[in-house]
Amino acid sequence: MTLNTFYFLVQQTMFYSIPLLIVAIGGMYSERSGVVNIALEGIMVIGAFVSLYFMNQMQSTMSGQSLLILSMLVAAVTGMFLSLFHAYASINMKANQVISGTALNLFAPAFAIFTARMLIGVQQVTFNNTYRIPLVPFLSDIPVLGDLFFKNTYITTFVGFGILIIATFVLYKTRFGLRLRACGEHPQAADAAGVNVKKMRYIGVLISGALAGLGGLVLMVPVTTAFDGQVGGYGFLALAVLIFGQWRPGRILFAAFFFGLMKTISAAYTGIPILLALGIPSYMFKMIPYLATIIILTFTSKKSAAPRAAGEPYDAGKR
Amino acid sequence: MKKLLVLLVVLLALGLAACTPAEVEEDTFELALITDIGTIDDKSFNQGAWEGLKQYAEEKDIAYKYYQPTEKSTDAYVAAIDLAVENGAKVIVTPGFLFEPAIFQAQDLYPEVKFILLDGFPQDGTYTEFRIEDNVFSIFYAEEQVGFLAGYAAVKEGFTSLGFMGGMAVPAVVRFGYGFVQGVNFAAAEMGVNVTLKYKYLGGFGPSPDYQTEAATWFQGGVQVIFAAAGGAGNSVMAAAEANNGKVIGVDIDQKDQSTTVITSALKGLGISVYDALTDYYADSFKGGESVSLGVEVDGVSLPEDFSRFTTFNKAAYDAIFAKLVANTDNIRTNIKKDTDVTSASELPVTNVTVEVIG
Repeated sequence: MTLNTFYFLVQQTMFYSIPLLIVAIGGMYSERSGVVNIALEGIMVIGAFVSLYFMNQMQSTMSGQSLLILSMLVAAVTGMFLSLFHAYASINMKANQVISGTALNLFAPAFAIFTARMLIGVQQVTFNNTYRIPLVPFLSDIPVLGDLFFKNTYITTFVGFGILIIATFVLYKTRFGLRLRACGEHPQAADAAGVNVKKMRYIGVLISGALAGLGGLVLMVPVTTAFDGQVGGYGFLALAVLIFGQWRPGRILFAAFFFGLMKTISAAYTGIPILLALGIPSYMFKMIPYLATIIILTFTSKKSAAPRAAGEPYDAGKR
Repeated sequence: MKKLLVLLVVLLALGLAACTPAEVEEDTFELALITDIGTIDDKSFNQGAWEGLKQYAEEKDIAYKYYQPTEKSTDAYVAAIDLAVENGAKVIVTPGFLFEPAIFQAQDLYPEVKFILLDGFPQDGTYTEFRIEDNVFSIFYAEEQVGFLAGYAAVKEGFTSLGFMGGMAVPAVVRFGYGFVQGVNFAAAEMGVNVTLKYKYLGGFGPSPDYQTEAATWFQGGVQVIFAAAGGAGNSVMAAAEANNGKVIGVDIDQKDQSTTVITSALKGLGISVYDALTDYYADSFKGGESVSLGVEVDGVSLPEDFSRFTTFNKAAYDAIFAKLVANTDNIRTNIKKDTDVTSASELPVTNVTVEVIG
């Protein structure tokens, strides 16, 4: 395998790993506050839809990175708004969190398609990709690293790493992070200590909504020229990454890249002689991340790092 | 908080309801179209057929309406046909091979209603019994011919490393692919060059990072142009082309507006054929009981008129090969192999192209 092929593979891996990383970190915030959010998929769809529609409307007047950044904000705000419904159902109404999430997942694609038809007459929201950065000035000259991270890239890649760093810091090094984690482990104890459990859980779910909405946009921009009301199951994949990553940022990073690399290899091996020569069918590569998730869960289920109170509506009377 | 949210939801629902175009109340709709899994604005099959029907109906001032089945099943399709007939439909257009079993049943249920079945022939659902009654006109498109034209144009343009990505191996997509391979071969033989062609069915019709990566890998590996007969998955191929300096050939409708990398598109004349069939019906010459394959000779398939994204290939060259196909010079047209002739693209008789079928 030539070095260029390797660089190309890593660059492609980013298109999978970064959105998975962002969305899984969102899911982590929600679950560590005690609310399971399987609506990630639906929120990604709506986040991508609204922000790409915004892009579609604005691209005649502006382009380039400023439009992408604005669209990212739109995606995050939209995702946050949608997650309000999930937060309200599962925190105020104490509804079953899986049902509420499923409702959003079913609602999202239908809403996106219906609205797209009303607004632009067709289901596909097209956009011009003017955001690719072929070479980052100066940084792309760094040997190896420059080729890996600073060529044929998007600012979303760096935003993704930025989110990871901030998320880790906030979760482990701030008072807020400690309280959020407490609400996911033992909300009654947190409440007794004076933490507003409802508020913390709302914040957790809203963060997950913002990041999932953003993840939807980040996923779609490099890989298509038209959004079609779906994100291809990547929200559920992000949940798998979250579990594989055992609800910890560092491991989620590893899991996101492991999943991304496997996805890249299974899609790219047909064009790379050395991989083709291995004679492994693409289905094998496609299965590996999921098999790995099951195996990891089998071995770690006894001491699984899942937040203890995740999925349980908070009941102050239950101690 | 609770009240605010409820209010918001109600407002949202009202807003959406207000935006929905008001239904025009009429008693009967003489012309009807039933969509398959797509919609009348899918920029593809259903839309093409719908535009033909709409154009005819508006010109002749005939009431028309489309029906969207509740789900993708023969029962739902038959139910939609029932509804259309109840609403007074005299002619029902059904685009897509998924309607084959539904029309098989409906042709007996409603002998007085005419059906125009696009891309299909009535069968019992298991491909054991095929039967067409006098009230059904079945139209196929010669996708292999337009695939041939696209392949020919690409090689004449100077491309020597090509690719075909189909959505799934359904008959129409297979015909596109086979035609493409043979068109590539024909042009290569004419020019005395040898070219390579990668051939693959993606397994889906929606945009996905997987297809983007796969196409990007092909472009990285030296493929210069990919014929993407894959619906929305084609948009992922375009994204890969934009990032890797590649070219794309679009499908079904003119896709040049979807990306600057689209050099041409393999068009099907859906609208024209529906329009013509309706004209026949009202002229009392409905071709019931017939099944036709519309090709270049009746403008059933073609490339778009705009050749500005080519540098070498041009309209004159296109017109020449198109005329050859129409005239069937040296049996060029009838020699094109279709989906029913061979079982894999690797079995196509080629001389100047190395076909690599990727499973």
